[in-house]
Amino acid sequence: MRILLVEDDKRTADYVRNGLMEAGHIVDALDDGRDALTHASGMNFDVIIADRLLPGLDGLSLVKALRASGTSTPVLFLTAVNGVDDRVEGLESGGDDYLVKPFAFSELLARVHALGRRPPAQVEKTTLQIADLVLDLVRRSCRRGTTQIDLLPREFALLEYLMRNEERVVTRTMLLERVWDFHFDPQTSVVETHISRLRAKIDKPFEQQLLHTIRHTGYSMHA
Amino acid sequence: MRSGILRSTPFRVALILGTTFLVGLILAGIVAFELVEHELDRRMDRSITDTFNVISQSYGDTDQADLVDSVQSHTRATLNHDQVYALADADGQIVSGNVGAMPAGTGWIDLPASALVISAPDDPEYRIFVGSVGGNRLLVGSSFNETHEIARLTLTTLGWSSIAVLLIVVAIGGLMARRAQRRIDGIAQTMARVGHGELDARITLGARADDIDMLAHQVNAALERLGALVEGMRQVSVNIAHDLKTPLNRLAITVESALGAESKGQPVAPHLAQAELEIQQINSTFDALLRIAQIEAGARRARFVPVQLATVLDKIADVYADVADERGQQLVVTHPEPLPEIEGDRELLTQLCANVVENSIRHCPPGTRIDVVGRLTGDRVTVTFSDDGPGIPPEEHDKIFQRLYRLDKSRTTPGNGLGLSLVKAVADLHGARIELAQRDPGLSLAMSFPVRARPLTDR
Repeated sequence: MRILLVEDDKRTADYVRNGLMEAGHIVDALDDGRDALTHASGMNFDVIIADRLLPGLDGLSLVKALRASGTSTPVLFLTAVNGVDDRVEGLESGGDDYLVKPFAFSELLARVHALGRRPPAQVEKTTLQIADLVLDLVRRSCRRGTTQIDLLPREFALLEYLMRNEERVVTRTMLLERVWDFHFDPQTSVVETHISRLRAKIDKPFEQQLLHTIRHTGYSMHA
Repeated sequence: MRSGILRSTPFRVALILGTTFLVGLILAGIVAFELVEHELDRRMDRSITDTFNVISQSYGDTDQADLVDSVQSHTRATLNHDQVYALADADGQIVSGNVGAMPAGTGWIDLPASALVISAPDDPEYRIFVGSVGGNRLLVGSSFNETHEIARLTLTTLGWSSIAVLLIVVAIGGLMARRAQRRIDGIAQTMARVGHGELDARITLGARADDIDMLAHQVNAALERLGALVEGMRQVSVNIAHDLKTPLNRLAITVESALGAESKGQPVAPHLAQAELEIQQINSTFDALLRIAQIEAGARRARFVPVQLATVLDKIADVYADVADERGQQLVVTHPEPLPEIEGDRELLTQLCANVVENSIRHCPPGTRIDVVGRLTGDRVTVTFSDDGPGIPPEEHDKIFQRLYRLDKSRTTPGNGLGLSLVKAVADLHGARIELAQRDPGLSLAMSFPVRARPLTDR
C-alpha cells in the first residue's frame, strides 16, 4: 500500500515509517500539515496516518480540508489525547479511525490494514464464508459444512466482524470498539472470554482451526 | 482609584442628575421671574392710573386751585422722587409737582430721570402717564426702583438656592458614589487577588441584597466552582505524580536489570517484556486519571442525549454474563422494559456500569451472585448493583470512591484504584445519587438518575 504519514515527532515518524516499510508498504513521511494537504490532494494514497497536533495545519483541519476537496482516502488519527470528545471530534471531522499514543506498532499495523483494504464501494454481502464456515447474514444462521451451529446474538456479532476482516489481524481494542462499542480498557478478560466461547462452538469440534490467536496482538480468521 | 472619581459610574450618574436638576431649576426660575416682572409692571400701571384718577377728580368745575393742592399734597407725601407728579397749565408752564420738565405728548411714556430734570442718584428709569385735565396737563409717574429691587431679590434668591442645590447634589452624589465605588473597588480587589492565585478570596456581601450584591453573589458562586475545579486538577496532578512515581521507579529497575543481564551475556527479552507490561500499566493509570479529570470538568454535559438505561444494562449483561460465568459467578440483570429515558452520555454510562460489575467480578469469589436491577423509583431511574461477596467494611465506605484508594486486601489483585472514582465522576456528571449499603453478606450500590424532563429542557 502507499501510505502518507504526517507526524512532526521525528522519532515516532521514523519508527512508524520503518515499521510500515518492513511490512512491505511505500511510505511518504511529512512533518507539516500544510505540505500534507497539497501532497495528499496531488497523489493517490491508500491510507493517511495523521497526528492530531501538527505544525502548519492541525490534523482535524487537514482532514476537513481533504474531505471538502473530495479526497476520500481513509485517515487514521494518531493522538496523545485520550479524551472521548477528542475521538468523537476526530471521527466527525471525517477521520476513519483513531489511535492513542503510546500505541503498539502491531495495533497500528492492524488498523492500517483494516482501513486500507476496505473496498471503495462495497456491494453488501448476504453471506460470509471462510473454508467451510458459512455465516448467513440474512437468516442469521451459521454452519460449518453440514453442521448447523447455534450462535447467541453476541457471538454472531463477534464472528461477523472477524469474518468481514478475513486474513487481517484484528486487535483486542478493535474488537472492543467495533463489536461492543466499548471505548475503555476493561479490567476483566472480556475479549478472551468471548473469543474462547466462540471458538468452542465454531472451531473446537472441527478439524481445521479458522480462528487464530496472534500473540501479543489479537486474532485473525483464515483457512 | 481616587483619581478615577470622574470615571466612577455612580458619581457620573449623580453629576448628570444634579446638572439636569439645576438646568430645570434655572429654566423654572426664568419663567417665574418673567411672570413676577410682568405682574409688577401691571400693578405699577394700575397704581399710576389710580393716582391719576384721584388727582383729576379733585378738579371740579374749572377750579384749578383744588387740582394744584391735590398735586402738591401728593408731592409732599413722596420721598426721594419715588413718585413724580407735575401739573402744567394751558401755556405749558409747570404750576405744581416735583419734576423740572414736562415731556411732550400724552399717554404712557418710559424715560430716565434726566429727561424729567430730577436730581436723583443713579438716574433711575420712570414710568409716567400724561393726560389732560380740563385744559391742564397732568403727569403722574413712578420710578422703576421698587420693581427692580424686587426683581433683583428674586434673582438673588434663585441664584443662592441654585448654588445650595448644586452643593447638596454634589455632596450627596459624591457620598453615594464613594459608597458604591468602595463596593466596586472591593470586587475589583477580590478579583485581583483571585488573579494572583488566591482562589479562596471572596467578595464581602452587603446587607441590602441589591444588584451589586446579586452580582457579587454570582461571582462568589463562580469562584467557588472554579476553586473546586482547580483543587480537583491539583489533586489529580498530585495523585498522578504519586501514583506514577512508583511504577516509573519499578520500570527504571527493570531497565537496569536488563542492562545488567546484557552485560553478563544473559537473555534480556524477559526483562524487556516486563518493562513493556509496566509501561502499559503506567499508561492506563495515566489515561484513567485524565479521563476522570475530563469528566469532572463537566464539558461532556453539552453532548448529553436521551439514553435508555435498559439498553445499557442489556449490553452489560451481554458482555459480562460469560465473563462472570467463566469465574464460576452468576450475573443476573433485570429491568422492566423499557425504563423512562434519562439525559446522559451512553458511552460513559456504559463504562460506569461496566466498572461496577467488573469490580464485583474481580473482588468476589466463585459462587457469588451479582444482581443488577434497573427500576423506576418516583421520578428517578435507580440501578442497584448488589453481590453476596465479601463486601466492604462500613468504615471504608466513604473512601472507596477516592482516587487511587484500594482496600488493603485488594492491593494484590490487579487494578489501578481508579475504577470507582470514575464511577463517582460519571454519576456526579449525571446528577445521580449513590448509596452504598451493607448486605449480609455482600454489598449493594444503588445509583439513581433523574428522569429526563419532557419536553427536552433547554439549558
